[in-house]
Amino acid sequence: MIEVAPILAIIIPLMGSFLTPLISILTKRYKKERIRDLFVVAITIVTLLLVLHMLPTVWSGNIIVYRLGNWTPPWGICLAIDGLNILVALIVSGIAALVSIYSLMYMKKDTGLGKYYTLLLLILASMMGVTLTGDFFNLFVFFEIMSVSAYALVAFRRNWDSIEASIKYMVIGSLGASLVLLGISFTYSLVGSLNIADIAQKISIIGTNPLPPVLILILALMMTGFCIKIAMVPFHAWMPDAYQAAPSAVVALFAACTTTVGVYVMLRIVYTLFGVAALGVMLIVLGSVTMVVGALMALVQRNLKRLLAYSCISQVGYILLGVGFGTALGIEGGLFHLLNNAIYKALLFMCAGAILYRVGTCNLDELGGLSKNMPVTASLFTIGALAISGVPPFNGFASKWTIYIAGIQAGKAFFTLLAIIVSVLTLAYLLKAINAIFLGQRPKRFENIREAPMTMLFPMMLLAVLCIVLGVLPSLGIDIVTPAYNSLTNQYGYIHAVLGGI
Amino acid sequence: MEFGPGFWGPIVATIVMLAGAGLAGLALFGSRRIAKARPSIAKRSTYGCGEEVNPEEVTADSEQFYSPIRRIFKPFYKYIQPGHSGKLNTYLLWVVIGFVVLMVAIALVLR
Repeated sequence: MIEVAPILAIIIPLMGSFLTPLISILTKRYKKERIRDLFVVAITIVTLLLVLHMLPTVWSGNIIVYRLGNWTPPWGICLAIDGLNILVALIVSGIAALVSIYSLMYMKKDTGLGKYYTLLLLILASMMGVTLTGDFFNLFVFFEIMSVSAYALVAFRRNWDSIEASIKYMVIGSLGASLVLLGISFTYSLVGSLNIADIAQKISIIGTNPLPPVLILILALMMTGFCIKIAMVPFHAWMPDAYQAAPSAVVALFAACTTTVGVYVMLRIVYTLFGVAALGVMLIVLGSVTMVVGALMALVQRNLKRLLAYSCISQVGYILLGVGFGTALGIEGGLFHLLNNAIYKALLFMCAGAILYRVGTCNLDELGGLSKNMPVTASLFTIGALAISGVPPFNGFASKWTIYIAGIQAGKAFFTLLAIIVSVLTLAYLLKAINAIFLGQRPKRFENIREAPMTMLFPMMLLAVLCIVLGVLPSLGIDIVTPAYNSLTNQYGYIHAVLGGI
Repeated sequence: MEFGPGFWGPIVATIVMLAGAGLAGLALFGSRRIAKARPSIAKRSTYGCGEEVNPEEVTADSEQFYSPIRRIFKPFYKYIQPGHSGKLNTYLLWVVIGFVVLMVAIALVLR
């Protein structure tokens, strides 16, 4: 394995984002803007290849520890890559590569693309940083870079709606970041370290049964901060506004990646940092509330992107529910759903973008009969909708089924029943969307609407294929998430690998 | 977790579902050939309150699409939906309430 692969996975997109404005100026002067766009695609693909390069090492049970400047942890900054964060890095880099390809055509009509691609690479670098770092303060810094890039991307179109949504997102996100920073400050004052493994070791010495009041405060502060990012109820209100206003390519990235990164950090805090699996009951209750509120709100939406945003909120509930069950099957189901959610959520938002690109609106009341004009998009949207609703043989069914079985085995039949009902509601609101967009009477002004361009269809097709493959071969999905499960439940393995027996 | 036969055999199930969909398609196709629908002009026309309206103007309101479900969950839509007002101060209040709820929940679970 290339020894510097972990740091390259962060530095390459980061340097790429710094170079993009320069390349943008040069390519604009010579009227070769396509070169800039392809440069960005190349950067995202290289990042994905670096993650794929690290996969075999991590999947064979190793934890990659990269020490910056050869300083030994906990004094130096390190990157620590285990089965959990390599899964997240795979999702982030894979979806980012597809989003960059999708953006080639989708963003073509926009101006200021130099800024767009700079922010796209910056958010990729920051997500990789949050995912791969083994240091809590670095995690916070990358998390803030990710958030600031996200605020700017939401406001990219600079219309009234997007600026308003961005400001709301920024205010709520900044409040969350302040709480996280406060939590980190308290942690540092308590244990005198910022290294995740070192903090985990010291907290395990303090003891978590019962948890001292200051640790309860720290846990609440951090969880609130990261719950805002994953839009768990009641911290979710910013998401529908932001997702409705942001460009669809950006929303596909947010829905698939920033949520995944947020869930990852929360799991890292609960399992690795605090080692408090007892919080499962709380995750189950909050997950269930999130599932129900998201689904019931999605049911009454008129705008497709807003409907999908509420759907995002609802699906996060499933992930928390699975992980909250605390059993091997539940955690694997939750992680499998995390992977699946990234795939079909990116697909659905890309489909929404394709509709918006051709028709110019996502208002369900203004659409209709588009399956005649956009048969491929209609088919891909239907695949995504069926997958997210948990209809066999798509991937959503496999992960939801795993969660249902885990719930019954854990003796949580009520929550399992709730999850099944929410699944039915999911199918209901997505059938409403399919009916409103693709079926029924086609307004006369849509007669000449054409299918989305191939550059946009290609990433969507790839995601749809993944929905089918992981549904027909669910064991493959379970195999992908098993190393993540092993890492999540092996707190001492992580501490030992990073600190090397200190 | 086993995804083999007896629990959830995805490949066999997929083949059965595809075969089922194919058979249903054939049945639909066959039935159409036997009794071809021939709607009269009057049947194809859509009327509002006596006046004729264009077909593309007749769409189900997407907010009221599942009005029976709205009735079932009336308290939710009466009390929770107005909270999604777009007002930033309401959203911030939710965050503060959420923080307190989280802290109390953590304390209850872990103390």
